[in-house]
Amino acid sequence: MDRNQLVKWLESPAKMGHKYSLHAVYFCTGCGIIEVPPSITARWDAERFGVLPSASPRHANLFLITGYVSVKTLRAIIQTYDQMPEPKYAVGFGSCPINGGMYWDSYNTIKHLDKYIPIDGWIAGCMPRPEAIFVAVTHLWTLIDKDMADGYKRYRKHYAAYRANQEKALPGLDWPPLFPLEGSE
Amino acid sequence: MTKMIWYVLSPLIALVVGILLMGLSRKLLARIHWRVGPPILQPVIDLIRFLSQKSASHGFLFDSGLILSLAGSLVLTLFLPLGQYTPMSGSGGLLVILYVMLLGPLGIAFSSGGAANPYASIGISRKLMLAMGYELPLLLIVLTVMTGYRTISIVEVVRIQQAQGWAIATFPLLLSALAYILILPAILGMRPFEVVGAAQEISSGPVVEFGGPHLALSTLQHALTTYIGLSLFVNLMLGGGSNPVFFLLKMLVVFVLCLCVHAVFPRFRVDQAIRYLWRWPALVAMAGLVLTVLMGG
Amino acid sequence: MTGVEIILAAAFAGALLTWFIGRTSSTAGSAFAVAVLLALTALVALLHGRVYETVFYRGFLGLPMSLRTDSLSWFFAMATTVLAALSGIFSLSYMKDRKNTGFFNTMLLLVNAAMLGVVFSGDLLSFFIFWEIMSWSTFLLISFNRGQGVNAGLKYIVMSLVGSMAMLVGIGWLLGAFGTLNIARLSELIPSASGGHQLVLLLLFGIAFGIKNAVMPLHTWLPDAYTEAPSPFTAVLSGMLTRMGIFGFLLILYVMAGAARVLHSPGSTVPTYNVVLAWLGAVTIVVPTFIAMLQNDAKRLLAWHGIGQGGYMILGMAFGTGMGLAGGIFHTLNHAIYIVLLFMSVGAVQHRTGGVRDLNSLGGLARKMPVAFIGALMGISGLIGVPLTNGFVSKWMIYRTLILGGAPFLAFAALIGSWGTILSVYKFLHNVFLGQLPSKYENVRSSPVSMKIPILVLSFAILLFGILPGLPLKVIDGIVVSFGLPSLDVSLWGIASEAGTLNTVNLFAALAVGVLVVLAFVRILGRSERVGQDSNYSAGCGVPRDRYNYTARYYDPLFRMISPYLKDFFSTLYDGLARGIGSLCEAVRMIYTGYVSSYVMYILLFISAMIFIHLTWNPW
Repeated sequence: MDRNQLVKWLESPAKMGHKYSLHAVYFCTGCGIIEVPPSITARWDAERFGVLPSASPRHANLFLITGYVSVKTLRAIIQTYDQMPEPKYAVGFGSCPINGGMYWDSYNTIKHLDKYIPIDGWIAGCMPRPEAIFVAVTHLWTLIDKDMADGYKRYRKHYAAYRANQEKALPGLDWPPLFPLEGSE
Repeated sequence: MTKMIWYVLSPLIALVVGILLMGLSRKLLARIHWRVGPPILQPVIDLIRFLSQKSASHGFLFDSGLILSLAGSLVLTLFLPLGQYTPMSGSGGLLVILYVMLLGPLGIAFSSGGAANPYASIGISRKLMLAMGYELPLLLIVLTVMTGYRTISIVEVVRIQQAQGWAIATFPLLLSALAYILILPAILGMRPFEVVGAAQEISSGPVVEFGGPHLALSTLQHALTTYIGLSLFVNLMLGGGSNPVFFLLKMLVVFVLCLCVHAVFPRFRVDQAIRYLWRWPALVAMAGLVLTVLMGG
Repeated sequence: MTGVEIILAAAFAGALLTWFIGRTSSTAGSAFAVAVLLALTALVALLHGRVYETVFYRGFLGLPMSLRTDSLSWFFAMATTVLAALSGIFSLSYMKDRKNTGFFNTMLLLVNAAMLGVVFSGDLLSFFIFWEIMSWSTFLLISFNRGQGVNAGLKYIVMSLVGSMAMLVGIGWLLGAFGTLNIARLSELIPSASGGHQLVLLLLFGIAFGIKNAVMPLHTWLPDAYTEAPSPFTAVLSGMLTRMGIFGFLLILYVMAGAARVLHSPGSTVPTYNVVLAWLGAVTIVVPTFIAMLQNDAKRLLAWHGIGQGGYMILGMAFGTGMGLAGGIFHTLNHAIYIVLLFMSVGAVQHRTGGVRDLNSLGGLARKMPVAFIGALMGISGLIGVPLTNGFVSKWMIYRTLILGGAPFLAFAALIGSWGTILSVYKFLHNVFLGQLPSKYENVRSSPVSMKIPILVLSFAILLFGILPGLPLKVIDGIVVSFGLPSLDVSLWGIASEAGTLNTVNLFAALAVGVLVVLAFVRILGRSERVGQDSNYSAGCGVPRDRYNYTARYYDPLFRMISPYLKDFFSTLYDGLARGIGSLCEAVRMIYTGYVSSYVMYILLFISAMIFIHLTWNPW
C-alpha cells in the first residue's frame, strides 16, 4: 500500500484519490450482500482501506454487484451505474454475475452481467469471504495504477452495444441513453 | 497589517480544523468500535477524489445554493473570535452571527430543492424541523448571555468572561451552559440527533444528489459547520481563548466529549428529537433566562 | 408648485376619469390608471421635505377640515404611491382578460386616493372620512371575485366597521373634551390631559387601528381577505393598506399623545398601554407564524405572515426608543416591499397556471418562470431577514432595542418568530418553484413583461435597502426626530452606536469576496454536466413520469405536534358571536309576522298589560 508516499500523491493526486477513497454503493443486489456488513464493521473494518459504503451512487465510485442478478434487479443496477460519476469501478461478487452460477438455467436471471455493464473485476466463489473483498480491492488498486480499470471508458466507447443488450434484456427501457448513441460502437 | 492577515487566516484555520475534526471523528469512532479506522487525513483523500470527478448538475440553483452556503459559512468564521483575533468584530455582533448562521443551511436547502429529488426534500424538511427544535433553546441561551453581560457583541462577551470567569462557572449562566451542552449534538448534527443525513432511510438526505465537486463543497461546508458550532459554544460558555492554541484545545475537548455520545447512542426520530429539545433543554434555558433577568434587575 | 390639495384632487379625479375611460375601452382605462398612479408618485416625490398645513373646507359642523404634510405623512404617502403604481403595472396583464377591469382600476385608484387622504389629513374628521372611503372601497375589491370573496369581504367590512365606530366614539369624545379635532392642536392638549382621558382615547383608537393592522385578537378578517382578493390588489392591501394601522398608531401615540415625551414620566397611562401593546405584538408575531406553517394555500400562507410581520412593527413601535421606533417604521416599509413582491410572484404563477395556488399541486416552476422565482426568492429572503436583505436591518434594529432595553422575553418572541418564518417560507418556495415539474406544466410560459418589471424593481429594492439601509433610514431618522426623540447615528451603510454597530457594506464585501473565492475554486477544480430532472437517484427505480415530489404535509412530525395548540380560537369566537347575533336578530324578526291579526293581538296584549300594571302595581 503506497498511501503514505507523499511523492505519489504529488505526482498523480487524482489516481491516488480514486485508489484510497473507494466509496461503495450500499445496494443489496443479491444474497452476497450478507458478506458486506461484517466486512465494513468491527470484525474486518474496510474503512481502514478507505472503503466506505455510501447511500447514493452520486457519492460512490465502486459498485459491488453482490450475487445473482434477476432481470428486475438489472434494471436498477443499470440506472445506478449510469448515475455514478466517472471514473467508476464495477466488481462482480460471487459466481452468479460471472456466469449465472447455480441459476445457470433460470429463466429470470442474467447470466453474464458484463454484457450489460462493464465489469472491472470478478470475485469468484459462492460465497466469497470478506477477505476476498480485500483481495479484490488490492487488485483494483493495481489495476487503477496501471490504468487497466477502464470499464467506464469501455462503456462510453461501446455504449451502443451495451444499450442494445440492455434493451434486449429489458424491453421498453424508459430512460434516455446516457451517451449519444451515434459515434459509439 | 497583522490584523489584515487574520481575514485570510481565520477562514483557512476554520477549514483546516474542521476537516481535521472530521478525520479525527472517523478515527476515534473506529477506535471506540474496536476498529483500526481510516487515517486521520482520510477526509482530505476523499476531497481530492471528489474534486477529480465530474458531477451531475441539476441547474443554476443547484450550483449557486452550495456556493452561497460555503461562502456564508466562510464569512461567518470572520465574526467568531479565534483566540484574541476577530477580523470583523465591529459589524453587528451576535445578532448578525445568528443570522449569518442561516446562510449555510439555507444555501444547502436551495441547492437540494433544485435537485428535485424527494429524498433531498425529506432531508431538508427534517433539517429545518430539527433546526426549529434546537434554535428555541439556543435563542434563549444566546439571549441569556446577551442580557447577562448587557452587550450584543461577542467580543465583549469573551472579554468579560476572561476578566470575570467563564460563563459555565457563574451561577445563572451555568444553567444556560447546561442547556447548551444538551443541544450541542443537535447543532453539530451528531447522534442522537442524526436525523438529517439518515443514510439508511433517505439516502443521506440533502446531499443525495451531490457528486464530485458538489460533494466536495458540501463536505467543506459540513466541516465549517462543525467548527462554527464548537466555536460558538467555546466563545459563549468557555470564555473563548487568550490565544488561538488554547481556543482550539478547548474546542477539541468539547468535540471529543460529543463524539463519545455520538459513538454509543442510537438516534431519535425527528418528532422525538423535537419533543426532547423543546422539553428539557428549553426548560433549563428558560430557567437560566428568568434567573438572569431576576438577578440582574 | 405641488401641494397636498392638488395631489388629492388629482387622485380622486383620476379615479373618476378612469371609470369613464374604462367604459369605452378597458385597455385605455388600464393604461390611464397606470399613468395616473405614476403621475401621483412623481407629485408625492416632489413634496419631499415640506412641512405645512392648509385648511380646505371650513364649514363642516363648524369645524375646519385641513390637510397637512410632514416627514411621517410623506414617508407613508411615498411608499403607498410607489407600491400602488407597481401593482397597477402588474395588474395590466393580470386583469387583461377578465370582466370588470374598468371597475377594478377605478377602485384601485380610489383606494390609493383614500390612503393618501388618510396620511395627509390634518384633522380627525377628514381622517375619518378618508378612512371610511378606504374601508368600503377595499370591501368592494376584496369581493371582486365573488364566491368566497363576498364572505371574506363581509368579514372585513364588519370588523372594519366595528373599528370605525370605536374611532368615531373616540373622535366625539375628543371633540367634547377639547373642542377641536385639529391634529396639531390636539398634540398640544392631549399630553397634559388626565390619565383616564388618555387611556379611553388610546383604547378606542387602538381598536380601530388594531383591527386595520390585524393585531392578534383582532386579526381574523385578514387571512380570508388576502386570499380571496385579486392578486394585484392583495399586493396593495398587504403592502400599505393594512399598514395604515401602523400609521394610525404612530399618529395617535407619537404625534398626538406625545409618547416619546411621556413614556418615562410618572402619572401617564401611555407607558402601560405601550407595554400591553408590545406584548400583543409579541403574540402577534409568534402564533400566526406557526399557523402559517400549516397552510397549503400559497396566498393564505403569506397572509398569515402578513399578520405575523405586523407584530414586529407593533413591537418596535411600542417599545418607544428611537432605535425601536425607527426599526418599526423601517420594517413597515421593508415588509411592504417584500410582501408585495411575494404576492406578485404568486400572482404571476396563478396567471400562468390558470389560478392554481395550492402548494401541493405545483412544483418545479423555477425553470419555467425564472423571474417570478427570483421575486419569490428575494421576497422570502427579506421575510426571513437573511443578511443583506432589507428585512434583516429592520429586524436587527428591533432585536437590538429589545435586548439592550431589558426585554429579553419580547426579544425571544421576535427571534423565534423569525425562525418559524424560515420553515413556512421554505415550504412555500420549495413547493411552488423547486422540486420536479409536473408534466401538466411543461408548457407554462414565462411571465409577461408587465409582471416582470415590478418584480425585478422590488427585488432590486430589497437588495438596495439591505446593503445601503441608510437611504430610507435618513428619512426615518427625520420622523424620529420630529417625534422629539434623539437622532440615530445613521450612515449610508448602517448604524453606529456604542453598544452594537451594524455595518452592512462590510458584510456585503465579505460575502461577495467569499462567493468569489468559492466560485474561483469551483471554476478551477470543479467540473459538472447538466442532467435532466428525471436523472435522480431513486433507489435504482425509474422516476415516475408525472410527479416525484415531497410536498404534501411537508413538516408532518412538527405539524402533528403543534397543530392541536394552534386552533384559531378568536376566529371561532367571533364566528360564534356573529351566529349568536344573527339568531337573535332572527328571533326578533319573528315578531313581525306580516299578519294584521297578530299586530292587533300585540296591541291588545300591550294595552291589557298596561291596564293590568295600572291596576295592580301601586307603589304609592
